[in-house]
Amino acid sequence: MNFDWSVVWRNSDALIEGTTLTILLAVTTMAISIPGGMVLALMRLSGVRPLVWASAAFTELFRNLPLILVIYTAYYILPVATGLSFSPVVTGIVALSLNVSAYNGETFRAGIASIRKGQSEAAYALGMTRWQTTRDIVLPQAVRRVLPVLASTWVSLFKDTSLVSVISVGELAYNSMRLRAQTYRVLEMLTAMAAIYWMLGYPQAKLVDWINRRYAVTE
Amino acid sequence: MSADGKSGRRGDGTVPVLAYRKIGKRFGDFVALAGVSAEVRKGEVVCLIGPSGSGKSTLLRCTNGLELIDDGEIALDGTPMPRDWNGMRRVRQRMGMVFQNFELFPHKTVLGNVTVGPMTVLRMPRKDAEARAHDLLRKVGLAEKAPSYPSQLSGGQQQRVAIARALAMEPEVMLFDEPTSALDPETIGEVLNVMAQLAKEGMTMVVVTHEMTFARRVADWVIVMDRGAIIEQGPSTQIFDAPAVERTRDFLSHLGWSG
Repeated sequence: MNFDWSVVWRNSDALIEGTTLTILLAVTTMAISIPGGMVLALMRLSGVRPLVWASAAFTELFRNLPLILVIYTAYYILPVATGLSFSPVVTGIVALSLNVSAYNGETFRAGIASIRKGQSEAAYALGMTRWQTTRDIVLPQAVRRVLPVLASTWVSLFKDTSLVSVISVGELAYNSMRLRAQTYRVLEMLTAMAAIYWMLGYPQAKLVDWINRRYAVTE
Repeated sequence: MSADGKSGRRGDGTVPVLAYRKIGKRFGDFVALAGVSAEVRKGEVVCLIGPSGSGKSTLLRCTNGLELIDDGEIALDGTPMPRDWNGMRRVRQRMGMVFQNFELFPHKTVLGNVTVGPMTVLRMPRKDAEARAHDLLRKVGLAEKAPSYPSQLSGGQQQRVAIARALAMEPEVMLFDEPTSALDPETIGEVLNVMAQLAKEGMTMVVVTHEMTFARRVADWVIVMDRGAIIEQGPSTQIFDAPAVERTRDFLSHLGWSG
């Protein structure tokens, strides 16, 4: 069996382009899903029935469907159902954000619930409103406490972006697969793809470990 | 207070800062407060003592509306307090509260803890809030700790910051809920000293405490509670030196108080 690694270098443009898009997908999705998850958590904890139900329904729907199904649905059914059609990239971001927001919502909910009642009472005793208490006292502590969980969600998300290749988004997985099909260099392209994912993923995983140590709850 | 300790309570004939009238509070089937009536007058230190579960802390928490009362009425400066959460919030700003577990905000520095009330609630500019905070930290002897985080302080230091945080709202009355119960013995004194100093400056204070020596020395008026009711109240000399009620004597002797 002979290998031709030059195929990787000759197609480095497409690989770099794919890698850039992978990073963009992950960053954009997380940028949407952190506030999204926070809104879901606050709705869930608001005590206002319709908001609680809406948040619970959203969370349980998107947390319990395979991501690939959400991606296909967003791509094939959403435009027909709503009359709006987005580019594959935007569709991919929407699908990923639905999924990750649902996860982040649960993460934030657990984080908020873990903050002692006495903290809110101390804020109320100063005359702060419920919203000021949530914004200035509870949320900042909750976010710190769930940082390790958010970090591992990020690492999962980074790899899960490869699933949007099924709707022809030219990210790293899609471009690698396309090159594989064009060049018939299966092992070379898969190895290059694996190497890139791993080299990007490994420092992130190490960063998560560091965050876990740094923000370990010692209370 | 006159020599016989029976008459001449401070502020006789004035409108009390706090007036409790037949306060009732239930938690499910448990009656936490059963018709409690009492007064706190301007400049007075009132200590609430009694066995645990007697309703002292509940009465204190009802005072600033952390618990809402079921029956009766609490008046602040003669005005009945609102019964709803939002109305209570505005009244609450006029009272400072110090908690057993300090409840400093761990994500904020000492300075941040003391400025957050004035800046968020009173919309005070940062510069003014910080100037006030530095004054108060100096007052509680922690001027140099402004940039520290609560986790870097001892329990006694944290509680003194908590006192400064409450004072930053310039409250009319300070509520202390067992302020030294969570402290190491060696740091209790520094907190009690700050409280005694406040009392000397004329701050109106309601203190739930197990520190009988402090109550004896600093309180103007002592309220003894048991099972959700007041069993005896009077000047501290009377309660500690000549308690009239059997259960008060039992409680005090149980704590090893011998007068």
